[in-house]
Amino acid sequence: MPPTYRILPVIENRSLGPYTYLRIEDPEMLLVARCGHFLMVGFSSSIDPFLPRPLSLFEVEENSFSILVKVRGRGSDLLSKTREGENLKILGPLGTPFNPPESGVLIAGGIGIAPLYYQSGWMKSGKLFYGTKKKEELILTREMEERDFTVKTITQENGGTVCDLVRMNKNDIEGEKIFICGPWDMIRALKEILGEFARNAFVYLERRMGCGLGGCKSCAVKTNSGYKLVCQEGPLFPLSEVRFD
Amino acid sequence: MIDLSVNLSGIKLKNPVILASGVWDLPYREIIDFDRLGGVIYKGVSLKPKEGNPPPRLTETPCGVINSIGLENEGVMNFIEEILPTLKESNTAIFSNIFGESIEEFSKLSSLIRDVSGIEVNVSCPNVDKGGLLFGKDPNIVYSITKSVCNETDLPVIVKLTPSSANIVEVAQAASDAGASAISAVNTFQGLVIDIETGKPLLKRGVGGVSGPAIKPLALYNVYQIAKSVDIPVIGSGGITTYQDALEYFFAGSSAIQIGSAIFNNPLAPIQIIDNLKKWMERKGYKNLKELKGKYE
Repeated sequence: MPPTYRILPVIENRSLGPYTYLRIEDPEMLLVARCGHFLMVGFSSSIDPFLPRPLSLFEVEENSFSILVKVRGRGSDLLSKTREGENLKILGPLGTPFNPPESGVLIAGGIGIAPLYYQSGWMKSGKLFYGTKKKEELILTREMEERDFTVKTITQENGGTVCDLVRMNKNDIEGEKIFICGPWDMIRALKEILGEFARNAFVYLERRMGCGLGGCKSCAVKTNSGYKLVCQEGPLFPLSEVRFD
Repeated sequence: MIDLSVNLSGIKLKNPVILASGVWDLPYREIIDFDRLGGVIYKGVSLKPKEGNPPPRLTETPCGVINSIGLENEGVMNFIEEILPTLKESNTAIFSNIFGESIEEFSKLSSLIRDVSGIEVNVSCPNVDKGGLLFGKDPNIVYSITKSVCNETDLPVIVKLTPSSANIVEVAQAASDAGASAISAVNTFQGLVIDIETGKPLLKRGVGGVSGPAIKPLALYNVYQIAKSVDIPVIGSGGITTYQDALEYFFAGSSAIQIGSAIFNNPLAPIQIIDNLKKWMERKGYKNLKELKGKYE
């Protein structure tokens, strides 16, 4: 299904852990959204901030979908303050979707939980390794357990990162398909830690984007076969393809 | 009846709104109805594929965006064999933007390209180490490149200028003297964004090109200066996001306009500009664009 560009109203804005959960009214997203899709979310009738923000689908329901916003700068701060009834510009769904396996391992760092939570809804069961800085930043662990995922968490304030968690539980990962979303340094470290298992690993990548439609060629990521655009060939890439040099 | 058609030294467009080079590719046809546009200029092509600059390549700026893509493209043969036949499915004027690192490369490129409404010569890209605005700053080089392109092709030739030249009017005059059919003005302004966490430029290549509403008054002044000084039509570009912006460009002397990074902010901007321009002209009693052009003078 081709993407569409529409102006859609926010119907719910609430906190979810340290993030803002925005639900947007849309009867059509459920018909088209798949794993790996993302949206370009822009501010209605505004040229400042000028660019829309690339955000993962978080939940898709019958008449609405939701996104999770982490405040990092002025744009995400404004987005997090969008009131119910206010409109957002939505371009999507974008990216190359994929069919997830029935079962597998998900590795999330921080807000990297967002696309993995959406993906888990398409799976029957699995394992989640999930790390954040602080305990109160851990979200959705109960929901993931309800989806038949074994959940293992770690926080930096308790002395470890998700990379440590994976290192300690490497036996659980053998033979499984692995899906990773989190900060760049975490991804780089995981490639080392996973070793030969990295062949079965896929990673959601994030880049600054202008358009989301392959027009501006901004979101290039270095791979073994040259630069690839995250918005066109991603956001999911085989971990073994991604270059960190 | 409002007549939005324009004739740029023989290039006939059904309306003055052209999608600028470098901001779109084929997937945009799903969102923008190309049949409604006056024309589209495909992203700059070089003789051989170029992989572009290392990332980060783009970031937001106040009321705009800065980029350093570095002309990533699949090369001219890919344009001719793969892109152009697909673009031809749309009922709009198609232009090819060409980028060479030498006069010979520009000649070769213009000899290869056929079956488009015109060739836009890129002597204004700020994001490459050879060619681009390094050529476009110098009226003598712009004259030579334009002349050699015009010698190689029967197609109309448009020269896209950089605002970085010391005297853009001189450069425009050189392009006109060499046989260009029209001027595109302007490409992005050179700019810099620094990441305060590292103290280093946020874009990997350092300098980039700024576009968007932030540059509109600057670009408009360049267009005004060129339009009053050269006889060939000027296609104005720089920060146009609304029909009001478009009107300013017509009043300053533009014959047509290009929409660039506005489509990041609002992909429907080109179509809305066409519709709202028509409504405004109806309301004000204008019948065609000639009545608007250069009214400032």
